[in-house]
Amino acid sequence: MEEQVTKQEKRELRREEREKEGRSQKTKIFIRRLAMWSFVVFIVGGTIFGMVQLAGNPSSGQPALLLDAVSATDWLKGEKEAKTILVEYSDFQCPACANYYPVVKQLAQDFGDKLQIVYRHFPLRQIHKNADASAYAAEAAGKQGKFWEMHDMIFENQSEWANKYSVEEIFAQYAVSLGLNLEKFKSDFNSKEVKDKVENDYLSGIRSNVNATPTFFLNGKKILNPRSYDEFKTIINQAGDSVSNN
Amino acid sequence: MTNSKPLLIKLAIAFLIISFIGFLDATYLTVQHYRGLPPECSIIEGCEEVVASKYAVMFGVPVALLGGIYYLTIFILSIIYLDSKKENIIKLAALLTFAGLIASIWFIYLQLFVIKAICVYCMFSAATSITLFILGLHILKLNKNQENVTIKTNND
Repeated sequence: MEEQVTKQEKRELRREEREKEGRSQKTKIFIRRLAMWSFVVFIVGGTIFGMVQLAGNPSSGQPALLLDAVSATDWLKGEKEAKTILVEYSDFQCPACANYYPVVKQLAQDFGDKLQIVYRHFPLRQIHKNADASAYAAEAAGKQGKFWEMHDMIFENQSEWANKYSVEEIFAQYAVSLGLNLEKFKSDFNSKEVKDKVENDYLSGIRSNVNATPTFFLNGKKILNPRSYDEFKTIINQAGDSVSNN
Repeated sequence: MTNSKPLLIKLAIAFLIISFIGFLDATYLTVQHYRGLPPECSIIEGCEEVVASKYAVMFGVPVALLGGIYYLTIFILSIIYLDSKKENIIKLAALLTFAGLIASIWFIYLQLFVIKAICVYCMFSAATSITLFILGLHILKLNKNQENVTIKTNND
């Protein structure tokens, strides 16, 4: 009788132990899974957060400086003596530059003689096949005193020529409509002098760490591209205040 | 059956890594889409035209977000498989890569022939999708071989 009880007890004890073991095993697996999925959520969340940071501040880091000062070979708009200077590195075939074109034009109008605007070429020839040709056209028109007129015309009609192959013909038509001497325009367009001018602008951009267009330098310091006209105006006003205070 | 298991696990780990890389890429593009692109053109990206095109949004949802969800699904399925070793799970992930392949071919076509501009991030995503598809084919092949072996042993 006694023996039977102990046998039964033993059996129960063993069963309980087994159950306990099973339970602790289950808890272990549960904890392991919980840890694993928490880790996954952490990694995925961290990725999203990191990407928001990365994509949000594209040019965080050292403020870039303009190394080549404005010179006599630059194309100026506005007042030469103005203390606030905006230098734009731009590519005629870049859609973003075409979007900024009316903005910059409006700035020139609104600030008048308080602002000096300089246009420098930064043709992204790797991705825009007509970037160089359009820069040559503007320079060739500049030889006859109509750089800004051609500049406006090229930007305003960007979609017309951007993907064409016989782009020189289109620019020749623009030259005619601006009343330029076509013979001279064509020879200037192909001249080494014009090509060198564009190349020098490009190299000066490289020296100042320009890697995208448009890039604006306000009083020698690179600025993040403003998202609206008003933002741009505010930035220029602030820069003007700090110049007159000094 | 035991011979192909380690290989299947290796393939699942490759799935895990590549889908995560794809997820990083797609997340970056999605964030850029919602924050608004930096208004500029650059040599490295060239994404302005592609990401700003009308093809970048499908039924009001940016395709980059769809891509992110796709990669995340593959990523999570790979983890579930590596944890549970249930082969149906990795098979499901492998089947999903067909959708990724078709989407990638469509996006490459759009960039080369319709938009005529190339966005490096989008091309990179196409590369990860195609890699996932090739790995997926191996997984499915392995699975099929196993089934044949099982059927054979059952018949014997």
